[in-house]
Amino acid sequence: MNRKPKHMLAALVGGAALMAVAACGGGGGAAPKAGSQPELSAPPTKAGTLTMVTKFADPKYAPYFEGVVKDYEAANPQVKIQLDQVADQPYKDKIRVLSASKQLPDIYFSWAGDFANKFVRAGLAADLTSVVGPTTEWGKTLAPAALKAFEYDGKNYGVPIDLDGKYMAYNKTIFEKAGVTVPKTLPELLTACDKLKSAGVQPIALGNQFGWPAIHYITQLNAYNVPPATLASDYNPATGQFTDPGYVKALQQFSDINTKCGTPNANGISHEAAQANFMSGKAAMQYVESVEFNAFTEKGGASPTFAKSWDFFRLPPPDSPAGDPKALTGAPDGFLVNAKSQNTALAVDFLMFMTNKDNASKMTKELGWLSPVQGSATPENSFPQLTKTLEDMNQASQFAIWLDTVTHADVASAYLAGVEGMLGGKLTPEQVVQAVQKAAQKAQK
Amino acid sequence: MAIAVRRWRTWLWVLPAVGLLLIFVYYPVVDNVRLSFFSWDAFDPTPTFVGVDNYVAAAEDPVFWRSLFNNTAYAVVSLIFQVGLAMVLAALLEEFVGRRLRGPLRTLYFIPAAMSITVVGILFSFIYNPEFGLLNRALEAVGLGQFAVAWLGQESTAIWAIIAMSQWQSIGYCAVLFVVAMQRVPREYYEAATVDGAGPIRSFFAVTVPMVREMTTLLVILTISGAFLVFNEVMVMTAGGPNNSSQVLGTWLYRQAFFEDDMGYAATVATVILVITFTIAALQMWVTQRRRVEA
Repeated sequence: MNRKPKHMLAALVGGAALMAVAACGGGGGAAPKAGSQPELSAPPTKAGTLTMVTKFADPKYAPYFEGVVKDYEAANPQVKIQLDQVADQPYKDKIRVLSASKQLPDIYFSWAGDFANKFVRAGLAADLTSVVGPTTEWGKTLAPAALKAFEYDGKNYGVPIDLDGKYMAYNKTIFEKAGVTVPKTLPELLTACDKLKSAGVQPIALGNQFGWPAIHYITQLNAYNVPPATLASDYNPATGQFTDPGYVKALQQFSDINTKCGTPNANGISHEAAQANFMSGKAAMQYVESVEFNAFTEKGGASPTFAKSWDFFRLPPPDSPAGDPKALTGAPDGFLVNAKSQNTALAVDFLMFMTNKDNASKMTKELGWLSPVQGSATPENSFPQLTKTLEDMNQASQFAIWLDTVTHADVASAYLAGVEGMLGGKLTPEQVVQAVQKAAQKAQK
Repeated sequence: MAIAVRRWRTWLWVLPAVGLLLIFVYYPVVDNVRLSFFSWDAFDPTPTFVGVDNYVAAAEDPVFWRSLFNNTAYAVVSLIFQVGLAMVLAALLEEFVGRRLRGPLRTLYFIPAAMSITVVGILFSFIYNPEFGLLNRALEAVGLGQFAVAWLGQESTAIWAIIAMSQWQSIGYCAVLFVVAMQRVPREYYEAATVDGAGPIRSFFAVTVPMVREMTTLLVILTISGAFLVFNEVMVMTAGGPNNSSQVLGTWLYRQAFFEDDMGYAATVATVILVITFTIAALQMWVTQRRRVEA
């Protein structure tokens, strides 16, 4: 008898059985318990294990968080905290893997904007309004704009732990040599770039290898060119249209900036490589986040000559902006508490510890980051540019949150790819906006 | 009776390995195909059935077709270099290089294959850097400055730069495998060819190539499936950019799953990879089954 059909039959039956098992396994998930409000008030005896994941694996930042964890464990010997630190880029994947496999830790890092709102919509973020809302004791110690960035539907879900704003850092020595002053409008910036080019210096160091540096420019330019109400409505995934002409204008302005001030090779250079150019005096400016300012100081590793000769200004608005000329690109970073955790009260207590004035001042001193905790930045623990940053941030009317985290991932993706294409000369601003509109429609579903 | 007992024993010995394969390979593969018919967000508690919508979306997605093209280009170039050129390299090593140099040269060619792909990717990111990278500096030094472009930053060159790096890494590995196969070819064939008046090139094509047929088959399957499964190189060097021009199926599926939160669509791309690699391997095996080399 021919053996083959028997084996094939067995294989087919096996395959069908596997499918059936898979179907059973996949389909039956128990529906989450609805409506149960997690317990948030401080437990009388602090005991238990907390799991926590952050995006601060960078050896510049990791020790601070490990230190805070150790201090808390020392003060509460019955508490054990399992801290897991990942790097910035892989964090976006790791947190999704953890969410999808239902292994989200008790405390987890989140960027502000739709990135955090996703977790809220999925029921994975605990409602913390009763402990950190603007009217609570804890909430009053934090900057209102920072708290607001983690608000959704009027409720507070996140605890902000740092403030980050995007500024144009520049080399004062190079500016003086080329006879350039700090530009107040976009056309002035472009003229300054011409002067710098004739002085033989790269005006702006732009390294766009992973796409987000250019997106930060677009975040600011969108805020300058599109009226605030339209912008907010478009960034909301449920109502995104992106039909305002300001979006095309913003892209065109960035294209002009790159042609006159940047390099045609921007897509092939990393942000860090461009920063090396800036810090070695080969480029006059770089658009950086205030959390990067520490690297420009002597303590942070810069050369003494450079550390003495840098300052910053905001990316200047265009003439007659249709949007908000006082908006500042930036956002707080924060932590969310897992709504399904067994230890929500302990998690809240730990976050309160992390954001007390001592730890916040320690963060400003050790990492050079601004904390939303009021009064945490003093001349003793921060360098002059940092204090100036805090003053400038207080004057910002609102935070324009990073374009790649403020809105739906599909729209962010369309912007990231589109701007890369525009920088490479393959797409026009109109084509990029068309792709964004298409993505926004898909995201509405 | 004795035969039945022996059959039971056979099953017992094989069962653990089969069990592991079923749980960790076949079940996920089947579940993935099932998942491709659903729409599932990483943050959604339950997937929703959408039939073949994901496949339709894939067919209409220009980046999907670009990824497929990139993978195919990867496979074609890899075949030429990692199978063709490696075979020639191995023949050169075996026939023309003196005994003393043979060992060190083999090691030298093999070292890139032993390096971590991530390390090699970062290394080549530096080499390809448009401002201070070795490649552009070398081109300028020999007067070919007009070719000094942003290799990883331009849509037209990004994926080819990555493919080139991959050839550098794998040629040595394939060459060493071919050397092993060539050492099994009996000397008599070469002597007979020389007696019949064949020069080195003729005997290469008439004796060496047919005699290493099995190794060639193996390497063709490995190369093609490797080309369709590539992930690390692209992720580390360009993450699929700029403007999705260097996406391959692996990185596109990763992006869909973990950046755009569309697990169902990612499962669809994964199923496509499965079908392609499975078909090619099956075809290959069928074609060569008729022509086994008797030792």
